[in-house]
Amino acid sequence: MKVKKLFGTLFTLLFATVALSQEKTITGTVTDQTGFPLPGVNIIVEGTSNGTQTDFDGNYTITANEGQALLFTYLGQKTERRVIGASDVINLQMEEDAQALQEVVVIGYGNQEEKKIIQNVGIVKQEAIENLQVVSADQLLQGQSAGTQIVNASGVLGSAAVIRVRGVNSINSGSQPLIVIDGVPITDTAGNTLNRGGNTGINPLSYVNPNDIESLTVLKDAGATSIYGSRGANGVILITTKRGRKGEKTTVTFDMSTQYSQSTDVPDILTADEFRQFKSEVASLQQGSPVTPESLGLGAIGSGGTDWLGGVQRTGISQNYNLGVRGGSEKTSFFFGLDFQDSEGFLIGNDQERAGARINIDTQVNDWLKAGMNLGITNNRLNRVGIENNINAPFTAAFLQSPVVPAFDDDGNFVQSGSFIPNIFARVALNTDELKTFRVIGNAFTEISPLPGLTWRSEFGVDKLNLEEFVRQAEFNTPGGLAQQIWVSEDRWLTNQTINYNNTFNDDHTLTVLLGLNYEETLRTRSNVSSTGFLTDDLRNLGSGSTPTVLNGDRFPSRLFGLFSRVSYDYKGKYLVEGSVRRDGSSRFGANNRFGYFWSAAAGWVLSEEAFIQDLNFFDFLSLRASIGTVGNDRLGTFPSLGLFNAGGFGDYNGESGIVPAPNPENPDLKWEESETIDIGLRTSFLNGRINFNTSYFKKTTSDLLLAQALPPQTGFTNINRNVGEMENSGWEFELSTVNIRTENFEWRTNFNLTTIENKVLALNEDAATDPQGRRIIDGPIQRAIEGESLNNFFLIRYVGVNPQTGDAEWLDVNGNVTTNPSSADRVVTGSPLPDFSGGMTNTFSYKGFDLSVLMNYSYGNEVVIDGLRFADGNDAIGGIVNIRRQNLNFWRQQGDNAFLPSPTSSTFNLFNQRSSQQQLDASYLRIKNVTLGYNLPQSALDKLGGVFTAVRIYATGTNLFTLKADEMDGIDPEVTDDIDPLFQGESFFTAPQAQLYSFGARLTF
Amino acid sequence: MKTRQIITMLIGLTLFFSCEDQLVVTPEDNVETATVFATKGSINGAVVGIYSKNQSGDLNGNPQLMSDFMSDNVNFVGSFPSLQEIDQFETLATNATIDNIWFDAYELIGAANNIIVNLPNVDLLDLSETEKAQFIGEAKFLRAFTYFQLVNLFAQPFQFNGGTNFGVPLSTQVFTPESELSDFQLERSTVNEVHAFIEQDLLDAIATLPDSNGERAESGAARALLARLYLYREQWAEAADLANQVIASGEYSLALDYDFYDDNPTSSEHIFVVINTPNDGPQDESVPGSDEVYVNFYNPAPGGRGDAPFSQDLIDTFAAESGDRRFDELSQAASDAAGNATFFTTKYPDIVNNASDGMALRITEMYLIRAEANLQNASTVGDTPLNDINLLRNRAGLDDLDAVDLDAVALERRKELCFEGHRRMDLLRNNLNLRPSGGPESAPGANKVIFPIVDDEITNNPNITQNPGNF
Repeated sequence: MKVKKLFGTLFTLLFATVALSQEKTITGTVTDQTGFPLPGVNIIVEGTSNGTQTDFDGNYTITANEGQALLFTYLGQKTERRVIGASDVINLQMEEDAQALQEVVVIGYGNQEEKKIIQNVGIVKQEAIENLQVVSADQLLQGQSAGTQIVNASGVLGSAAVIRVRGVNSINSGSQPLIVIDGVPITDTAGNTLNRGGNTGINPLSYVNPNDIESLTVLKDAGATSIYGSRGANGVILITTKRGRKGEKTTVTFDMSTQYSQSTDVPDILTADEFRQFKSEVASLQQGSPVTPESLGLGAIGSGGTDWLGGVQRTGISQNYNLGVRGGSEKTSFFFGLDFQDSEGFLIGNDQERAGARINIDTQVNDWLKAGMNLGITNNRLNRVGIENNINAPFTAAFLQSPVVPAFDDDGNFVQSGSFIPNIFARVALNTDELKTFRVIGNAFTEISPLPGLTWRSEFGVDKLNLEEFVRQAEFNTPGGLAQQIWVSEDRWLTNQTINYNNTFNDDHTLTVLLGLNYEETLRTRSNVSSTGFLTDDLRNLGSGSTPTVLNGDRFPSRLFGLFSRVSYDYKGKYLVEGSVRRDGSSRFGANNRFGYFWSAAAGWVLSEEAFIQDLNFFDFLSLRASIGTVGNDRLGTFPSLGLFNAGGFGDYNGESGIVPAPNPENPDLKWEESETIDIGLRTSFLNGRINFNTSYFKKTTSDLLLAQALPPQTGFTNINRNVGEMENSGWEFELSTVNIRTENFEWRTNFNLTTIENKVLALNEDAATDPQGRRIIDGPIQRAIEGESLNNFFLIRYVGVNPQTGDAEWLDVNGNVTTNPSSADRVVTGSPLPDFSGGMTNTFSYKGFDLSVLMNYSYGNEVVIDGLRFADGNDAIGGIVNIRRQNLNFWRQQGDNAFLPSPTSSTFNLFNQRSSQQQLDASYLRIKNVTLGYNLPQSALDKLGGVFTAVRIYATGTNLFTLKADEMDGIDPEVTDDIDPLFQGESFFTAPQAQLYSFGARLTF
Repeated sequence: MKTRQIITMLIGLTLFFSCEDQLVVTPEDNVETATVFATKGSINGAVVGIYSKNQSGDLNGNPQLMSDFMSDNVNFVGSFPSLQEIDQFETLATNATIDNIWFDAYELIGAANNIIVNLPNVDLLDLSETEKAQFIGEAKFLRAFTYFQLVNLFAQPFQFNGGTNFGVPLSTQVFTPESELSDFQLERSTVNEVHAFIEQDLLDAIATLPDSNGERAESGAARALLARLYLYREQWAEAADLANQVIASGEYSLALDYDFYDDNPTSSEHIFVVINTPNDGPQDESVPGSDEVYVNFYNPAPGGRGDAPFSQDLIDTFAAESGDRRFDELSQAASDAAGNATFFTTKYPDIVNNASDGMALRITEMYLIRAEANLQNASTVGDTPLNDINLLRNRAGLDDLDAVDLDAVALERRKELCFEGHRRMDLLRNNLNLRPSGGPESAPGANKVIFPIVDDEITNNPNITQNPGNF
């Protein structure tokens, strides 16, 4: 380095002496707003072609005349102009470009200048996520982008968040957005693994290392999504991984952290003695004479018990290591990343080891050919546990298991629980439930530019998922033992061929034309084998069992072929229009409707380019845009339109092969669900870019919803799938980002977003059940979809409380009168799982080397129903053998008691915990999701470290530190993800709590 | 140079325009309807499929379990609300368990109708008329078996009103995309009409099924089921005659002990068994035994749920005469799901594989039918009731009786057939309350000793009539 500097100086000196006498040599250092040296800043002498760049240390040297001006330009920074005066030194601290609107953003099958985007996209940039320490990429999105609702997965490792882009757009088909990683739409089949309750099947976003992600783009309106045709209706999330930059010094980033994990909040349940006391007190009151716990078979007070809930929890300790190497030469740039995570969950038996690697490379072969490749590999080993309504779920079983039941005998051996709720300690300790996955997602591309402005990009991509699940149930838990092994491979290969033409005519007319083709083949193969009858638990594997019990092998092929085009035009960057069309053919659609056409049209007006707005001298940027278009949802299953006879286990009998009719008859007309979206938006930036405010309104009407039209049972079929339903989602999105304080050393920024979504079912099938008002409904035990109303309404008997005078529990009948004996006819709409509004807020503070970011997310106006409270409250569930929450100790004893539970002698005592709004809880919350405090070592400290590192960052992160929620939610998490089924939103049996994480780490860059 | 690039590009693109042909994908794990009748093998497969359907826990499992706990054999302590409802005679039309029974039954009937209606028109070189008739006979037997189950559960018995009350809808057609829905929105036929339909199916089956057909339905099975139908209809002479025909056929004989319960479908005891094997039980795709009822409910934990122990009444009944091998060898002491020490049957012992067999028709029942019908009819077709009953008592390790009356036959029938799903109908047809000292809710003829027509049927069929009662 020093030698190079020396040469540079010598050369400059030499050059200077030869040059004209009035020229002088200017030197200086350019730094960014945080004081870091900024390499690669372009410096030119205004009006000449004389220019240079800063070196890796931000230093530059240039010769110019006094009186001339130097222009400093750098991507994302404000261009600075400095007139050369008497001094030979010009040091400069650049300022971030207030709007940063010149940045290029990834959109469907291309890029676009952010300023010129008239699609509605949510952009999560690198700076928003680079300091977030998260386990899985879905957490990067939470609270960051309006219109994207992430209901976080429980803290159980391996469970998936529920992601909704602008609400639920389907009833029976999937509502998850399409996820595209570097141009490869990835598979996200639920049900590849054994059901362990809740939404634990698969988390498609766990296959990309969050540290490798450069940016995320959420495509929201039809203008953005219709280019994805039959798969765009639920929104599209584009993930772009990090790439090298050409001519950049190679940097190595090594990040390591240690994380401690515990549960956020668990319900308060009874100890063994409290349980004995409660049961004997209740029995005494009911029988009118003293009843001892011994006589109830519960053992004497003080005779011990088991703290099941304490026993299934632990402090999980995790290690994360991450290495990123990024750089490039003149023609080639590269990024590679390595990642290793060894995580322990806070529930016993739940841990995970993940290793990932990524290579992204591209090279400019010559002036017309570019080639490259992106490849990410993930290897994961997960020890699974059940959650929710599942007797093998540690949390649920520990919650319900009677505290008087012993877990161990005097010798420390496991003992059977004696009821169908197992000794969960034994289940977890003795059984194996392991899931191994290996996934490769990547593509290779060439880009040929035969003519200026014309590019043919040819991409071949692959998404290959291999999954192996191994279950071994021990003799103690399953007499005879059981081994089960499941192999799934889900392979997709695809090609995208796009031709892009981009030209500006007469300086004013910019035209971009995209023509493209997309072909994908997906094959999912699943084998499932199990056997029973093991001599000993030491014989682990399938072959050692005496009796094979399950032998399944299935293959599910599907294909998709799309042709698409998009044309964008703008006049002086002021008036913008864009249109797109896509024709999609899918093997999933019925023979009579194999091809679907999807289109969009959008227009934008950048008012801040108009003189009359510029004259106001207020707005830095102001634009209006609107779009309309259609998109489809193809999540219908593999062969939804065919009338089939099923074979295998469904049809076989006593060793003979058989076939049986599938439950749904043929429907050759079956097709995609189609959404039409109107979207209007406003983008503003003012006060020198210190305030940015965006808002949009949307209305999305989904028709041809796939509904199962019930058939008379005498047909031999349950129902037939028809495209008959109609639904509407509409809402507002607001995004506000402000720079609240900006001084030399201190900065405080706030990003805030808020989304409202209103859902309305417009039409259900004609034969749907109707309510007494004659409205068509889809009825479930807890909620009901109502035509003309929302898809999701909690529909329950209204619980009032315990009458302090009588000690009776009271409900309201359908007419609103108090009753002590309600029936299912008294159900009314009692709440909604859909929030009135939700969103997130991020505050970032920086002071010298310190930075602090606080990410919060919130949801307001929604309820959840915790169905498991029917068991965890009251005295009689499952014969009264289950444990209950502590508030049940507060039962009515005498007049005037404000009791939780009715009098044990009341006729309502055992009715109390019947399904009603008693289990419906207010789920509004504000959660401090992530707090990260970081410290970047100053240059002086780096020098003391021997100059080995160019940056050292030390950080501490806390996740789920605090949640503001209703009192009745004590011990219960407000983020409920039991089911991704749209008809079961906000319902849970017992949601496993979120993980509260504390991590400490360091990031070294050299 | 540039020309070459453009040409390359065009070639590249045209190659991919042929992708459209790729969109027709044929399923690999199922066959389309049209191919079912193409070969003898697939026709046999479609018949086997009806047997497979009959394994459903909703057709063979739940009805038997419910019959036991609605009556006095089982003290139900389980936590499933839909079963609790039934146990407390508060069944609603929205009850999910009975909904499954209704649908599974008609799905089986639909699969049988497919053979009965379509097979006569199929001509294949290697398919003889006898084979066709036998396939149809098997389909008719299984259809009759299922209709009998339905009419017993969803309609008041013959004794209620001489069989003139509503039975269940009789579906005999095959649904295709061209079918009119209204052709399948059927009225309920009367109990007599349903019984007559079952009788005709069974007579056809008797005529076309071989005497011996492995573990599939044979003529003896159709005769045995017909004997039970006549017994329920109090056609004593016909009942005695058909039971006697089965006994006299020599195809079946009383097993020497009770090992026929434990995965032993070839035992001489069995006339027709619903065979569940470790790799083919009542299960969905991935979870072995997931739809299994017998093992799951009748066994204590671990291995079962412990929901359906002996009732105290049944324990007392066995205790009244000690040494009964049907208690000593076929019960185990354990604690139930509610934590009480009690007894469980061991008639469904395969907890390892969740694959015990369903006891559909066995020769012992024929002796019991013959004895009861002969007593009622004052006849001795085949043998005297006393000899028939003593035969069963001897196997159970009990001493001979000197004389039998109807109560003695009923008692023997209960002790012999408990946990096999007979008790509810045995009490109802004899005009007895389902529960010892039971109230009006469990009395014969009460609204909820039978099930309501399920809500899904009511919603989708304007021609259906609901049973009386607050459903």
